[in-house]
Amino acid sequence: MQNKKRLLMVDDDRDFVAAVSCYLEANGFTVFRAHDGAEGIRLAKLERPDLILMDIMMNERTEGFFTIHEIRRDPALKSVPIFVLSSFCTRLPDFEIPSSGGWLAHDMFFAKPVDVAQLLERIRQRLGKAA
Amino acid sequence: MSEFDAPERVVVIDDDYAMRLSCGKILAKMGLPAEIFEDGARGLAAVAAAKPAMVIVDLKMPGISGMEVISRVHEIDSQIIIVVITGYATIDTAVQAMKCGAYDFLPKPFSPDELRLIVNRGLERRRLALESQRHEVEQTLLKRRFVTFVSHQLRTPLVAIHQYLDVLKHLDQTADDPLRRQEWLDRCLTRIDELQNLIADWLTLARVEGGTLIRERVKVDLNRIISEILKTYRETAAAESVSLEDRLPGECLFVCGDRNCLSVLFDNLITNAVKYNKAGGKVTVSGARSHGEVVISVTDTGIGIPEKCRPFLFDEFFRVQDDGAKKTAGTGLGLHISKRIVSEMGGTIEVASEPGAGSTFSVHLPAWREPDRDAGSQNDAEQEAITDGR
Repeated sequence: MQNKKRLLMVDDDRDFVAAVSCYLEANGFTVFRAHDGAEGIRLAKLERPDLILMDIMMNERTEGFFTIHEIRRDPALKSVPIFVLSSFCTRLPDFEIPSSGGWLAHDMFFAKPVDVAQLLERIRQRLGKAA
Repeated sequence: MSEFDAPERVVVIDDDYAMRLSCGKILAKMGLPAEIFEDGARGLAAVAAAKPAMVIVDLKMPGISGMEVISRVHEIDSQIIIVVITGYATIDTAVQAMKCGAYDFLPKPFSPDELRLIVNRGLERRRLALESQRHEVEQTLLKRRFVTFVSHQLRTPLVAIHQYLDVLKHLDQTADDPLRRQEWLDRCLTRIDELQNLIADWLTLARVEGGTLIRERVKVDLNRIISEILKTYRETAAAESVSLEDRLPGECLFVCGDRNCLSVLFDNLITNAVKYNKAGGKVTVSGARSHGEVVISVTDTGIGIPEKCRPFLFDEFFRVQDDGAKKTAGTGLGLHISKRIVSEMGGTIEVASEPGAGSTFSVHLPAWREPDRDAGSQNDAEQEAITDGR
């Protein structure tokens, strides 16, 4: 159990976080939860997660793009993979974000609501077998 | 917009030296920066560069004709007002100029007053046109933003519900926990309620805006309406450890309004006072008559409203976001609707607040005035008949 992969989930909808993180935990991940961008930045620096799941349109304080920018400014976090989970674009269910403009290869976009099985598979692909 | 901030410039095009010079002088005295040109080509170049509010042009000039200047000016900017000067003031030339898009014409010779009158009228017309255009643009933008916002607000609870159900479905095979299952289903129901409230609030708002919410203007006793609302809140308040204090006077507080709207209004204020309170806190509702008004105050001992937020408190979708604020569900429409209702009934609403100590919302409504001649009668039909008879 020592080698569990660690995920950070940043989303201001607590119900969304509760559902998705529970599923990921049941599948062998450790999940840290943040409900706004500022808390996300703090937890990212503190816990150094293996991958971050990030909402974009958050009501309170820091929104997602700014949060991502802040997290990646930290040298220790500059190559942490980020999966964007957002409902601002629902036409494409998921895609790899082209690695330009600060995005890394294999950063991904997922439309909400997410297909959790698909999300799990993509996280495992990205991190190697977690559990 | 820039059109409103920039001074209104006028371009005068006339081959007659004395004429263009005196026009320029009169305009300058009116406080309007004017540029004068002796032919159409130079005049049009200036129009293209400076985008003036108005062009005054002589119809009969060598080179580019006045008629052509009119259509070329409107190719540059269709909002420019064009006034034509003509020495041969026949109905025909005037009509032709109007057809080409001129706003008005001045027959030579004309007095300074005639010029001033026509210039002022033309500029006023332009201002109105620009204002209505700007209004239209603002409305479109507002509507577009509203749609984006609304779809996000609707989608968020739907996403949460979907995600709970989706995960429950997947977890069935691996790690089912009856307690968690129950909790999640409860959360789904709560989020569905949230959606219902949102839709109900939007509908109320649409009705207030469409002017169909206020159906009646009758004699209403606020004392009774508010006492009834307070009764329905006893349980909710007790669950939040908030006490409700009814300090309404013994007498009736009559206003003229719509019972349903007044219920919505005070329901909103009392809900907020309970919701944004502290455990062990208090909500006090008091009322009084003074100077032809009924004043109702709803006071809470809650978290208060930061001063910087107060100017926006009654705006659509505005919600106070503060580190000290506990997570409270809300649509951001309650106070906006309340303010609309109060205004519709000819009253005012104001707030006084001290962060950390609490807030007081005061509603001032015009008191009911008995029709003059029937001091004793309480019969509505009878009162109506007397009023109608006058």
